[in-house]
Amino acid sequence: MSERHGSISRRLTWMNMLVSGIALLIAGVAFAAYDLATFRSATVRELSTEARMVASNSVTALLFNEPRAAEDTLAALRASPEVMLAHIYTADGRLFAAYARDGAASPSAPPAIPAGANEISSFNATSVDLSRQIVSDGAPVGTVRIRADLQAMYDRLRSYALIVAAVLVVSLAGALLVSRVSQRAISRPLAEVAAVARQVSQEKDYGVRAPTVGTGDELAVLVDSFNAMLAEIQLRDRSLQQAHAELEVRVRERTEELHASNKELEAFSYSVSHDLRAPLRHITGFATLLEQRSGALLDADGSRYLRTITEAAARMATLIDDLLAFSRMGRASLSKSRVDLAQLVRDARTEVSADVNGRRIDWEVHDLPSVEGDPALLRPVMVNLLSNAIKYTSTRDEARIEVGAEANPGEVVVFVRDNGVGFDMAYAHKLFGVFQRLHRADEFSGTGIGLANVRRIVQRHGGRTWAEGAVGRGATFYFSLPSQGAA
Amino acid sequence: MTRSALRRLAAATALTVICTFTADAQPAPRSEYEIKAAYLFTFGKFVDWPPRPARDESAVTICVLGADPFGPVLDATLAGATIRGRKVSWRRLTGPEDAAGCHIVFVSASEERRVSTIVPALNQLGALTVSDMPQFASHGGMIQFVTAASRVRFEINLLSAREAGLTVSSELLRVASAVRNGAGPGE
Repeated sequence: MSERHGSISRRLTWMNMLVSGIALLIAGVAFAAYDLATFRSATVRELSTEARMVASNSVTALLFNEPRAAEDTLAALRASPEVMLAHIYTADGRLFAAYARDGAASPSAPPAIPAGANEISSFNATSVDLSRQIVSDGAPVGTVRIRADLQAMYDRLRSYALIVAAVLVVSLAGALLVSRVSQRAISRPLAEVAAVARQVSQEKDYGVRAPTVGTGDELAVLVDSFNAMLAEIQLRDRSLQQAHAELEVRVRERTEELHASNKELEAFSYSVSHDLRAPLRHITGFATLLEQRSGALLDADGSRYLRTITEAAARMATLIDDLLAFSRMGRASLSKSRVDLAQLVRDARTEVSADVNGRRIDWEVHDLPSVEGDPALLRPVMVNLLSNAIKYTSTRDEARIEVGAEANPGEVVVFVRDNGVGFDMAYAHKLFGVFQRLHRADEFSGTGIGLANVRRIVQRHGGRTWAEGAVGRGATFYFSLPSQGAA
Repeated sequence: MTRSALRRLAAATALTVICTFTADAQPAPRSEYEIKAAYLFTFGKFVDWPPRPARDESAVTICVLGADPFGPVLDATLAGATIRGRKVSWRRLTGPEDAAGCHIVFVSASEERRVSTIVPALNQLGALTVSDMPQFASHGGMIQFVTAASRVRFEINLLSAREAGLTVSSELLRVASAVRNGAGPGE
């Protein structure tokens, strides 16, 4: 399977092996220790028996001073190959008879057997000594010491170690085999869950499920919970997608409705403006006819009334024209090209030169860049702003109009500054609304549509409009256009 | 020489003497009759006597017949001794007629001339007969001391002992220098 499966199964196998290895080792060491302890005590028992036999068979030899008889007795120890040497001492500590397996007897001091004991044994690294008192008729007549080597014990230890090692190897091989088989029951479901989890996280496919485990243990719970979780996520994902789709549909519907009503509104205002012109033409036409025909008959008041009617009709016609232009603006599509702002300002100044009306105006036009935009639409913007500047400086003896631009990141900001009557910043938000006027019509003429048009055009270009000013201290109108980099 | 130096010399000398003495080990070699007295008593540990009404079987009585060669050695050896829980008593006899209560009779070399009559009489009484006279075993005596190269050993005439109803332990036979199964010379 996957490498993850490999790693977890390897860990399980190692764990199994470790546990069984340690258990076997402990068992082996315990058995060996127990066996060695048993062996030691058995060795002592054996030596004790031999010492007893030697003791009882050497009583008369000691009593009647017959070392040869004692040596004969000791010679019988030849039957026990582990006995290295045996000594018999007289009661007064003299070496009486000796036996040595390898011939050379090592003379040694008589053993000191404490009062009350008749036998002592002592172990050292390679041998064990056992000494026993020889007693005749209740009286000590000598001692016997038998020394046996522990070669057999070490042989036994070695063979034990070999056996434990062999058992360990075989058992570990067995454990490896068994755990390979048995841990599949654990690692396979885990690996499958992991694979499913990976598939879910990589492919976002919440429809997959991990195969269930029929064991009823924690693994089964894990797999079932995991599947239940996936099912829940799938459910939520589906409802989320559904909600998303519904939302999109709703947004699209609303947008369409909005477009439709917008269009309707434009069509309505267009038709209204258009339809209003017909009666207006009649009013203007017949007022003109009336003046031609009966102008002479009218007194001063009548003439003034008629003139007022004519003027009002003319103003209304302008209004309607502006309204039509405004509503057309919403429908016209942008045809963008490179627009030289300096050229645009020159053209606009030419267009508004009639408004100057012989006044002295101090123009200051800074260097202006080129921008991206629809020249046919940007031109009325500039005309409007310059026209406004001329209009609202009309009360000044020395009018001053400044046009400039500054390049900000992502946009170019153009401003038109004048030293006219200015406005109250409290009403700045109303400046760009349709029919919103901050000055009375008899003060400054205008339809109240110009700045609304400016805002509309600039916004269609993706820019902004704003203004700064103060009453009596002039005003500055700004508009921004996105520059190439960020457009 | 200062006093401390003198004392040191004395101590060294004493130490040397002690060491020499100890190295030679053999603690005060026992005299021949000391050994024989000890053996006489020890034989009792390896012999079973037939019961005799004339004797106290709850004790072991050791008798010396004839001129006593042991002297105070015997008394010193046997004082307070026991054999397998039985008290040991001892006395000196002048003739075999007094030996009815004896378990072990040592026949002195002084009785050598009478040995051929004394031994059958003692055997009759069921006593263990011991002597150091030559040819004692040949005359039917049960144990005869043999001293060779200043070593005390003994021969056993097993036949006499058996005929007298005594049982001699094989342990004792093992350390005997010779064991006779007949009246003739030992094997």
